[in-house]
Amino acid sequence: MTAQTRNRWWPWAAIVLSLATAFTLAMVSPADDVQGNLVRIMYVHVPAAWLAYLAFFVTFVGSVAYLLTRHLRWDRIATASAEIGVYFTGLAIVLGMIWAKPTWGVWWTWDARLTLTAIMFFVYLGYLALRRTTDDPIARANRAAVLGVVGAIQIPLVHFSVVWWRTLHQPPSIIRPDGPAIQDPMMLVALIVGVLAFTVVYVSLMVKRIELIHLEDQQDAVERAADQPVAGEAVTAPDLGGPS
Amino acid sequence: MTTGFWQQVKAVGGRDLLRERRRGDVLWITIPFGAIALLLVPLAVGTDAALLREIGPGMYWVIVMLFGVLVAVGKASSETLPQQDASLLLGLDPAAGFVGRSAAAALLLVVFEVVVGIVAVGLYDISLIGIPWLIFTVLIAAIGLALLGTLTGSIVNSTSAGTALVPLLVAPLSIPLLLGATQSYEGLRLGHSIVSWILLMVVVVLVVAIIGVLTARPLQET
Amino acid sequence: MTSVHFRTVTETPLVELSGVGVRIGSTQILRDVDLRIVAGEVVGLFGANGAGKTTMLRLIATLIRPAQGHGTVLGADLSTSERYDVRRRIGMIGHVPGLYPELTLGENLRYSAHVAGVPTERANEALGAVGLAGAVDRRAGASSHGMQRRTEFARELMIDRSLLLLDEPHSALDRDAVDLVEGLIERKAAERGAVVVVSHDRDRINAIAHRSVELAGGTLT
Repeated sequence: MTAQTRNRWWPWAAIVLSLATAFTLAMVSPADDVQGNLVRIMYVHVPAAWLAYLAFFVTFVGSVAYLLTRHLRWDRIATASAEIGVYFTGLAIVLGMIWAKPTWGVWWTWDARLTLTAIMFFVYLGYLALRRTTDDPIARANRAAVLGVVGAIQIPLVHFSVVWWRTLHQPPSIIRPDGPAIQDPMMLVALIVGVLAFTVVYVSLMVKRIELIHLEDQQDAVERAADQPVAGEAVTAPDLGGPS
Repeated sequence: MTTGFWQQVKAVGGRDLLRERRRGDVLWITIPFGAIALLLVPLAVGTDAALLREIGPGMYWVIVMLFGVLVAVGKASSETLPQQDASLLLGLDPAAGFVGRSAAAALLLVVFEVVVGIVAVGLYDISLIGIPWLIFTVLIAAIGLALLGTLTGSIVNSTSAGTALVPLLVAPLSIPLLLGATQSYEGLRLGHSIVSWILLMVVVVLVVAIIGVLTARPLQET
Repeated sequence: MTSVHFRTVTETPLVELSGVGVRIGSTQILRDVDLRIVAGEVVGLFGANGAGKTTMLRLIATLIRPAQGHGTVLGADLSTSERYDVRRRIGMIGHVPGLYPELTLGENLRYSAHVAGVPTERANEALGAVGLAGAVDRRAGASSHGMQRRTEFARELMIDRSLLLLDEPHSALDRDAVDLVEGLIERKAAERGAVVVVSHDRDRINAIAHRSVELAGGTLT
């Protein structure tokens, strides 16, 4: 990669096009029999949640690949995916809560999927907090990769434990943890297009973010190679002055 | 893993236990802290005996998970840079260091769980059912939490946040242990099978142990 | 004062640094360092406060990776995992002791013996050799800086090393201990190892070293 910024237009075009399509379909699809127009939140919530899991998986793959190859490219992929993932995980949770309050009368239900998503959010936050506190790029990549692997391998175990737990402790029948049933083919189409659109958004954001991280790393490397003063040059001979 | 590896594991584990014995941080600080946390809960939620019996086991395990991790990253198990340098130049295999530190932390966690458990039984009137399985749960939870805490401690070593970051990283990852421990107790209480929960906790222990050993060397990069 | 004799210096390089730079975080500490140390050599390393002398020692001890350039120590490339394999042959005594304050001097040394795979009987022998036989059961945290340094010298007597790195070895030491240090340096060189000594005491070091190098502006002159 060169030091010049690549002005790729296609990610932005893809984002606009796919989101426009998804929005249109979400608006023209029928309202739900029970929830009315509130169901339209699902056309963002479900794709956001899908993206959260996808991003997490990519962070895991990037972490494993880095540990095996030590190429910083994989660390960039893992970081970019985690950064994008944390936003969409937060979005999925908030939208889920906004949908839940009028539907179920509570902001939170301890539904297995919602609980797992909240846990993943904190794992992401921890991953990003760790990266912020490590200066050296190699050490940062190593530590983040290990945490990425530990976190990702633990998540299925967390998932099993939470699902089993919810199976044993069924919620009251008025709350349907599976969410609304899809009654109309148009709704299904809108949902699938929404998932595809968000996947395009994810890939586009990844391309841009990885490019940006790479440029930041290149700038860092240039600064390192540059003739900058070493730390010891800040220390000079003392001068107490006084009468000669 | 050679005989030298296990000798190093023993040396590191013995060192940490001796340091803790001399410092007394777990005995005089962490355990009382856990006990007082158990005391605070009824002050907040009410002292109805039936309620406390219901939430007692859960509260106990939450306190074990949150405060117990402090045992794995306490002063007695942390090292200054000159101490780490000296150990590395002795030819310490980082994996042996990880296993040794985890073993010492696990032992201290068992002590923590037993003492705080006695307090919980007293304050919350918790029945001790299926004692052999309870003992096994206590042991597995201690080992799992020790491994998670030690691995995370290695991950945050030499970062600017240091050990302050460890509880944030461990808490979400310790959920299978938390659910395994609480649901095992519930299962014993209700006469259900708890094999799947025990198996889950064992898998967590194995997964973290393997990752910890395999990544011990890369984590040495400062 | 112990008279010091050295054998003829041989040509096997134990340390070879070429254009090496070191960064700690975002701060450049060393730059364009070229250094060659052969077996049997004693090298003095001087420099002003903050010049990077301790960083240089930690680099040679394989505890830091070079950010630029290429270096080998005892045949191991400093940029690869090879460097883990040679650490056991490198001894370093920093200016901050690396003992565990909760453990006694004897326990610290026995721990070192266990990890390094040497018989633990050598621990007490070594403490006796450095004049601390009567302080075996004294906690390191309750011992003076000088006693802790002597304990670290005992560790280096106990373990076979090819390379010895000493950071301000004379500080906090009484005259007997100073003789001990110089005896240790002489012995290491005689065994065809190598020694790098950081010090501000130029006269004392120049009397025992084959040569000295100056660290200034992040590089060696």
